[in-house]
Amino acid sequence: MLQINNINVNYHHAVQVLKGFSISVKPGEVTALLGANGAGKTTVLKAASGLLPLENGHIEDGDIIFDGHSVRQVKPHLLARKGLVHVREGRRIFAEMSVEDNLKAATYALTGRKAGQGIDQVYTYFPRLQERSRQLAGLLSGGEQQMLAMARALIAEPKLILLDEPSLGLAPKMVDEIFAIIARINREQNVSMLLVEQNARAAFSVSHQGYIVENGKVVLEGRIDELKANEDIQTFYLGMGDADGEKSFRDVKHYKRRKRWLN
Amino acid sequence: MAQVIQYLLNGIMNGALYALIAVGIVSIFKSTKVVSFAHGHVIMFGAYFYFTFAVILPGAEFMPDWVAKWEPEWLLAYKEGAAMFSPKAAIAAWVSNLPRIVLGLVGSIVCNALLAVFIERAFMRPLLGQSSLSMILCTVGLIWVLEGSASLIWSADIDQVPPLGPNFPIRFTVFDSQVFLFSSSVVNFVIALILFIGLMLVLRYTRSGVAVRATAEDQSTAYAMGINVPAVFTTAWVVAATTGAIAGAILASRNGLSPTLGLFGLSVLAVVLMGGLDSFAGVFIASMIIGIFEAFTQWQFGGEYAEIVPYVLVLLVILWRPNGLMGQAEIERI
Ligand SMILES: Nc1ncnc2c1ncn2[C@@H]1O[C@H](COP(=O)(O)OP(=O)(O)O)[C@@H](O)[C@H]1O
Ligand SMILES: [Mg+2]
Repeated sequence: MLQINNINVNYHHAVQVLKGFSISVKPGEVTALLGANGAGKTTVLKAASGLLPLENGHIEDGDIIFDGHSVRQVKPHLLARKGLVHVREGRRIFAEMSVEDNLKAATYALTGRKAGQGIDQVYTYFPRLQERSRQLAGLLSGGEQQMLAMARALIAEPKLILLDEPSLGLAPKMVDEIFAIIARINREQNVSMLLVEQNARAAFSVSHQGYIVENGKVVLEGRIDELKANEDIQTFYLGMGDADGEKSFRDVKHYKRRKRWLN
Repeated sequence: MAQVIQYLLNGIMNGALYALIAVGIVSIFKSTKVVSFAHGHVIMFGAYFYFTFAVILPGAEFMPDWVAKWEPEWLLAYKEGAAMFSPKAAIAAWVSNLPRIVLGLVGSIVCNALLAVFIERAFMRPLLGQSSLSMILCTVGLIWVLEGSASLIWSADIDQVPPLGPNFPIRFTVFDSQVFLFSSSVVNFVIALILFIGLMLVLRYTRSGVAVRATAEDQSTAYAMGINVPAVFTTAWVVAATTGAIAGAILASRNGLSPTLGLFGLSVLAVVLMGGLDSFAGVFIASMIIGIFEAFTQWQFGGEYAEIVPYVLVLLVILWRPNGLMGQAEIERI
């Protein structure tokens, strides 16, 4: 569905953010991309959805293949119309527009395709949005805003959704609700997803494949079951060791040491 | 009392024109985040295009006579015996001008739209992704390009252009006081109001309006959701240039045609800043306030003050509310 082959990405031709970065998302699967703040996860998604040039970001080498075609030079709106949609970090809903108008804006992704499943069908995944369809999107709660961001993506009848930190800033109960919907969408709509998360536990609950990113490089990859069994991941990402700050800092160092040793 | 109402009305008529000019600046800013300093000069081009299509072209050899002066039988019969300056005579004169007024408006709207597409493609599009400051500076440069090319293209003697509506004085009483207005001012007012309200309705209730509002709020997210953001930018420039063409036609018929039209348009930027760059409603209110304020200053202190006092007001408002009366707070100032 999506192959990212050995890309190097920089901003302003100055800061090199991704170095020889490769991942692949298989059709129908949810692929998790985990890593600390600043590792370059969002940059990966922006590279795939064509947003990099807007921030003066450049893909220097390598290629990105979506559905059999290179998308390195394709404009963002055309990618959305081909079924590659990006749910951005921080939700980025249109706060001054009603919920319904947010969804109407998303129908532009259907340009040149036969009409999609329509707003009503999408509401079946998000009944809370239907109740608030005339409300200003800026007045929704964080969880509802995340739902709206995902509903906008669904309107586009996507083949692949790039989902950037859906759990960010949400209460645990809401995180569970959101991830239940993610799993359901993946199952029922057969949409592939590339899921960026810092909440590994939530991400693992819905994913099939996973990649760990550090400093713009993939340092670990595998099927979710393998990753769950990995000792480093248990201590560092799933917090199965002690949760106290001192200890987890040492865990980071231990993790990095092991990384270097493995290389 | 009569005079208060009289100047109030004058102010409102002028305010509507400011609003019509301002609508273009807001339209461009809302979608592109670029403040167009050249909008006044785009309006000036609209005025010259109107002159070209409503005066030069109808006077050309190959044009049938009725384009310049339409006088069907029934019109001659209608104006038979009408007194000079009577509404009847004015309406008859307007009807016989109608073909060239329509030709002038259509011509200036089309040409200005093409000019806008050219400006957007040639000067704005290559700067996409750069800071909006570079685009804003580019519009400043455009001022001289447009002014220079206008004086090259239209070097011929400038003639009177026909007003868009019939022109006769209307007298009426409000609260027992006699006031009067020119009918053409009323027509201009109505045109400005219709365009302004029409644009707001399109923005609020149509699907294209949704695309524009989405782009206005978050360009890159709108782009990633399938909205053709560069096309929205072009549309915004075209909307500005076509409303500007109508504003240009009105200004040329009211104050005569001259290169100073561009500077006048530029001065309306102050009104836009007062209302809030991204707020149609705020800019409408600001236009009215400035129009009325200007009229009263003119009345009390004379013409010289009328040119300064409104701008002092603008400065005070901006000191008090840096984003304008109804502007969004997070906007980066120019
Ligand atoms: N628009 C940008 N311009 C310059 N540097 C950026 C930009 N976006 C991100 N970066 C830098 O790239 C690195 C990776 O950022 P990002 O991809 O957002 O990481 P993550 O999503 O994993 O937190 C960071 O060091 C960040 O400062
Ligand atoms: Mg990120």
